[in-house]
Amino acid sequence: MSVDFLIGLFLATLIVALFTSRLYRLILWYSLNSLMLGILALLIGQELDDRAMLITGAVTILIKSIGIPYLLKNLSHKFNFVRQIQPEIKVQYAIILIPAILVFTFYLAEPITHMIHGNANYVAISISSLFLSLLLMMEHRNVAPKIIGFLSMENALFLLGITATDGMPMLVELGIFFDLLMAIVVINLLFHGEEMHS
Amino acid sequence: MMLTLLVLPALIMFIVSFFKNKKAKFLLPVSSFAILLPIIKLFMLPKPYALIGSYLVADKLDTYILLVSSIVGIGVTLALLTLDKHVKVSANAYRRFYRFFAIFWVGLTVSILSNHMGVYWIGLELATLSTVYMIKTNHTRAAHKEAWNYMIVGAIAISLVLFGIILMYASAKPILGEDAMQFDLLLSHAKEIPSPFLFEMGFAIATVGMFVKMGFFPMNLWLANIERASFYPVAALFSGILESAVIIGFFRFSQIAMEVNYTHLFGFVFVYTLLTIFIVSFLIFRAKDFMRLFSLSGIEHMALIALFWVSGGTFAALLHFGAHAFLKPALFLSTGVLESNGKYRIAGALRGYKGKKGQLFWVLVSLFLLAIISLPPSPMFFSELYGFGAMIETAKHSDHMLAMIGAILLLLILLSVIFYRFVAIYQSMKYEGKEEEKKVYASELFALVIFALCLAALLLPSSLDYLRSIT
Repeated sequence: MSVDFLIGLFLATLIVALFTSRLYRLILWYSLNSLMLGILALLIGQELDDRAMLITGAVTILIKSIGIPYLLKNLSHKFNFVRQIQPEIKVQYAIILIPAILVFTFYLAEPITHMIHGNANYVAISISSLFLSLLLMMEHRNVAPKIIGFLSMENALFLLGITATDGMPMLVELGIFFDLLMAIVVINLLFHGEEMHS
Repeated sequence: MMLTLLVLPALIMFIVSFFKNKKAKFLLPVSSFAILLPIIKLFMLPKPYALIGSYLVADKLDTYILLVSSIVGIGVTLALLTLDKHVKVSANAYRRFYRFFAIFWVGLTVSILSNHMGVYWIGLELATLSTVYMIKTNHTRAAHKEAWNYMIVGAIAISLVLFGIILMYASAKPILGEDAMQFDLLLSHAKEIPSPFLFEMGFAIATVGMFVKMGFFPMNLWLANIERASFYPVAALFSGILESAVIIGFFRFSQIAMEVNYTHLFGFVFVYTLLTIFIVSFLIFRAKDFMRLFSLSGIEHMALIALFWVSGGTFAALLHFGAHAFLKPALFLSTGVLESNGKYRIAGALRGYKGKKGQLFWVLVSLFLLAIISLPPSPMFFSELYGFGAMIETAKHSDHMLAMIGAILLLLILLSVIFYRFVAIYQSMKYEGKEEEKKVYASELFALVIFALCLAALLLPSSLDYLRSIT
């Protein structure tokens, strides 16, 4: 029951992020989205008695929910990001588009959900989160929300990993975290370049 | 031990890149040469050779791809020695280029040698992220924009690959547990996978991610624009090395997918690659500068490699791959010289080369240009013959022989369009435009000679036998 609730909150934070027009709010929604994911990993890990998933859950909360949002806010101060980020897709259209994506992904994932035992509907939610993250990347012109879209996509994949496979091998999870940190380093360097050009 | 030797030159390169001493500039290419030695040693060891348990295993296929990539890496670093003679590049950007090249090499080695889907993805992601900064070493607005573009589209592509991997893993986990990530085990148990549909869906999504990364439909101009905006050695790295890491993933995944359902796999890849070649051939026809021309031609060749591979023409695909991996970087590196006296100017680009070095340069570039359009005795001529043969062979076992002959005819028409365009460009380079004196440096010429020798070595009976022995 609590897992259902958390998955609902995971999806809700992503949907709200799609309507956000302020950068710091968007970072906050990303942070909450990651927090829900981390708690979910901890809960499912405890249920399955999977120590690797418990560790990845804790690392998710530390890195994705606290570390990365803090770093993004710092970068925003350092490089004076545009904080008014109006989505290109108007609210009235987004209200129609987002449920359409949700319904479409549930329909798309239907043949898969029959093959996965246990948390079958969660797979559909992870796929829809992936599409919504792509939408977040597409609907903004500024770089910062695009980065958050990319990070949310990583969250959606992590959710898929937890729900469809009852957790990926520990080595892979840690490798993904390492790559994520590397991505942040590269993003930081790109912003340095941006400062030089402006 | 072997893994330490493989990664050590990259680590040395990474550390040396932090030294501000001018002599460090010469130590960097030397460390790049050192990469080749452990690979040759690995090449000679009996296969399969486990480097780290079942995570990194060297077999004939990945050792071949690693060897080709390391030679391309040497060629690129040789050309880098004279980069500042052709384009504006700061000493700091130069050192950073090497720093990220070292990270790129580690990621690449891991992904090529991996026997584990997750480890493969981690290596590929590391290599992808490190190339973002290499694009950025060119301090222009276009390069900066394209670096972001690469970061975002590359991230989407790589996420699709991970998405596919998760689904493939989920499909086989009930029978293999956590070992469902291993390529060799997946291959040997492919027929027992309880949900083949789930596996096929995962394969299709991962393949779309890999194809997008190689510039296939619908992202044909994405890669070309990036290569245009970055320095020419980056374009050479993309086409000669990074694409190798992507294509080996496709080889591994498709080997398993062939066992699951060959008809579905063949149909999907056949339509996708044909569509890509169709679009790319017309884009090549309209290309107005060297970089885009070679980049689009690279996409065409990668599509042909994928097509030959799924048709069962392993030998043809690997021969085509080797030829592509040597020819395309050679042409990209030549672009640095061809364009240094006026960007985008095709007419007369092959005129004005004096002295022995100059003459050798234009002869080599002419040979590369003609080899890329499969004029005999180019290895591409033979690989295409064997590849089309494999396609016919596949059709013999189905009821679609007429459709296959039609598809091959269509492919030949599209390849003729590309052939026509390249010949026209060559004639314009050689016989049109003004003659201006141009300079070729020894290091870049040496790189081209290495590529030419490697191309010739590909046609040696022992090389061909080695490629035939890869299954």
